Amino acid sequence: MIEVLTAPPFATIQDAGWRTGRAWGLPVSGAMDRASYARANALADNPRGAAAIEWALGAGTLRFTEAAVVGVRGWADVRVDAAGQSTPGTGDAGFAPEHALRVPTGGVLTITPDPRWRFIYVAVQGGIDVPLLMRSRSTYLPGGFGGFEGRRLRTGDRLALGNSGGSGTAVRGDGTTEAPGASPSAPARTPAPALADHLEVRVTRGPQWERFDAAARAAFFAGPYTVTPASDRMGYRLAGPVVLPREGSTLPSEAACPGAIQIPDGGQPIVLMPDGPTVGGYPKLAVVVRADLDRLAQCVPGAAVRFLPPAG
Amino acid sequence: MTGAAPPASPPAIVPLGEEGWTVVLGDRVDPEVHCRVAGLAERLAAAALPGVVELVPAYAAVTVFFDAEQVSAEAVRRAIARIAAAPNNEAAAPAPSRLVSIPVRYDGPDLADVASRTGLPADEVICRHAGREYEVYLLGFAPGFAYLGDLDPALVLPRRSSPRTRVPAGSVAIAGAQTAVYPLATPGGWHLIGSTPLVMFDPSRDPAALLRAGDRVRFVPER
Repeated sequence: MIEVLTAPPFATIQDAGWRTGRAWGLPVSGAMDRASYARANALADNPRGAAAIEWALGAGTLRFTEAAVVGVRGWADVRVDAAGQSTPGTGDAGFAPEHALRVPTGGVLTITPDPRWRFIYVAVQGGIDVPLLMRSRSTYLPGGFGGFEGRRLRTGDRLALGNSGGSGTAVRGDGTTEAPGASPSAPARTPAPALADHLEVRVTRGPQWERFDAAARAAFFAGPYTVTPASDRMGYRLAGPVVLPREGSTLPSEAACPGAIQIPDGGQPIVLMPDGPTVGGYPKLAVVVRADLDRLAQCVPGAAVRFLPPAG
Repeated sequence: MTGAAPPASPPAIVPLGEEGWTVVLGDRVDPEVHCRVAGLAERLAAAALPGVVELVPAYAAVTVFFDAEQVSAEAVRRAIARIAAAPNNEAAAPAPSRLVSIPVRYDGPDLADVASRTGLPADEVICRHAGREYEVYLLGFAPGFAYLGDLDPALVLPRRSSPRTRVPAGSVAIAGAQTAVYPLATPGGWHLIGSTPLVMFDPSRDPAALLRAGDRVRFVPER
């Protein structure tokens, strides 16, 4: 069992999401940064698809009533206190890109994310045991279902651990060292690397690519766009050069997908994210390449993004 | 069911990301276009293409989602093109669609407003809403939210100028040429004319959504 001693500002249980359901309006949902989520599970020696905590916007503290192997992926300062004391991170000097550690019975884990990293993933060996709904343990907040009671984690919540997978081998027993699957040496505690002045994001042509003329596409790819605060698990609203389709481009609603770049009436792009609508009537100029959607998901408000034109 | 001539040229097949193809059959909301959408979706489903995960029929397009780890995008595109180009013989054997009856208590907070804006007595609004059969064009906006059409032309109104921040689940609503039942409590800008006790979406049910694209729906007034 894990007790949430101090809930981070925004944390939900997520896995790889719903494989089917789009035909009746169920978003894919699941982890915003699939690669980091998968890595956290690997660090915790979990099979693919185990449910983990998607953790955002600040520090929090978990107490373990049983010993556990924990994988944390995402720049953060992670401290374990075997005596059950909360040990806040010391800030910038303590960040590392990932952690694999064993928390003893009664141990307290304090996680302080680097504020420039939007989502970190906390996987526990065996997976977080929440009910399986439609073959996923993801939380879909707009519908209030899935995950842990269909909502964000709160202080005082108690999370059960599952028994999915885990070889249970070769965990070093000195408290803060790595689990199977981790890199062989303890992570160096170093400042997070300086971020590039903008993130380059690859795209493929969207279904309505032809509805945008050369000038509109040129403006779009020149960018840059800024991730605005009106960005969440449903979509990231961007601010930058206005891009508009040709006149008379009405579109009866049709399927969309995570990564689709919708151009609404004002010409400011919206990148759909995993909880985004499954259909939409705005033209989709382009679609973010899957691997780059993970990196875009990590952008905090104010981050600059430039889209790279598709080849050919 | 159709009687319409098949399209003169093969439909456009455009990519939707790395794991989707959208087959475009038209550019407007129209029962005839949607009939072709339903026919193509049915033929694609019957083909059970390897690696295809899900089909999403919409007003004028069908999207085919596939698993790129199992099948190449190009193989899926070729298979879709072959099926889309095959002679459309659905007129010979129209697929039987389900008819779903939805009981409605016509007591919505906007019923009086709809009556005054359409110039019809409230009873007449109810008669016209319950007096026809609708088709499920597509599902979206929220899980289980089915767009039903077409509404009696006398009931067509633009959306509310200020959307509600929370519409209760089960609300029966109209907007434009469409009607729907809100499956979950969500924000919404449609006119609420009634409510149903039916659960339109239940994640613990299989299937979770009561309606699927292509179903026919009738609203039955409850007293």
